Amino acid sequence: MRKSQAALEYLSTYAWALVVIAITVGALYTFDVFDFGKYLPQKCIFPSQFKCLDFSLKPSEIKAKLVNNLGEDVCVAFVAVTNDASSPLACDFTPEGEGSCAPGEFEWIHGAEKEFAFTNCVNGGYLADSRAEAKISFSYYSLKTPSKPFHLVNGKINGKVTSG
Amino acid sequence: MEKSHQDEFTRLRSSQASLEYLLIVALTFAIIVPTAYLFYNYSKELGHEAIDAQMTQIGRSIIDTAEVIFYSGQSSKTVLDLNIPDNVGSAVIIDGRELAFNITTSFGTSEIVFFSSVNITTLSSNCDANICKIPELASSGFKKVKIETSKNSISIEVI
Repeated sequence: MRKSQAALEYLSTYAWALVVIAITVGALYTFDVFDFGKYLPQKCIFPSQFKCLDFSLKPSEIKAKLVNNLGEDVCVAFVAVTNDASSPLACDFTPEGEGSCAPGEFEWIHGAEKEFAFTNCVNGGYLADSRAEAKISFSYYSLKTPSKPFHLVNGKINGKVTSG
Repeated sequence: MEKSHQDEFTRLRSSQASLEYLLIVALTFAIIVPTAYLFYNYSKELGHEAIDAQMTQIGRSIIDTAEVIFYSGQSSKTVLDLNIPDNVGSAVIIDGRELAFNITTSFGTSEIVFFSSVNITTLSSNCDANICKIPELASSGFKKVKIETSKNSISIEVI
């Protein structure tokens, strides 16, 4: 009898504590406190030759403003955006400012800023008010190099999709 | 009867201590794991920026030196001490005017390209058509890079 009383008292003492802890953890989970990714700073990372000056993530639209620090005028082609989701992010991109480049490409003068605007973004967990990652890649070639070899650039945007 | 009561008391105390120990360990983990995750992510991004800055400095230094040597005239040469970081996949000279490094990051491979106003080349055995490879610049560590005049161009080779 004493043994069962002791066990019951032990449980009643700690059960309250465990219930309180469980409710607290549940409440914190509900408010996304354990989504640690959101504590990371919002970032736009590109090689310094194409430094990222600004970016915005809006529902179905991604914008990144880059500057050409190559010291060379180039033509940009094959601009794409994706991410690591099982159904990856996909957006439309319309090149503007063909200049002396081939159709479907655009010219980027050295020192100039260029805004890469992707529209109609779907899949890849790209949802309003959620944290999203977008990998942007493009190829370019120098107008002055005789064989015009393509060079690949990869960058990444990590931030919150704001509906405002 | 007295002995059984004492045993029960001892068992209760030890189970209380175990539970408290577990709670403290759980709390410690709850603090350490997210903190480690945040710092790991933050340091990974800083790592990319550091490699990018280092390669930009190396490429700029090679091209600037090549241009200085070219305009210094025949028989000019110099040796650069460079520290190549990890994650450099390849180093090539294209068309005698582009020095391109392939850098691998967690979000893909990027090329860091430097454009020279003077004709640059390397050992002819490493050249195939308009592309010359410098394999020694694609491995990490300290390298001595000799930059010297060679006919109408500047030769870049690791010694």
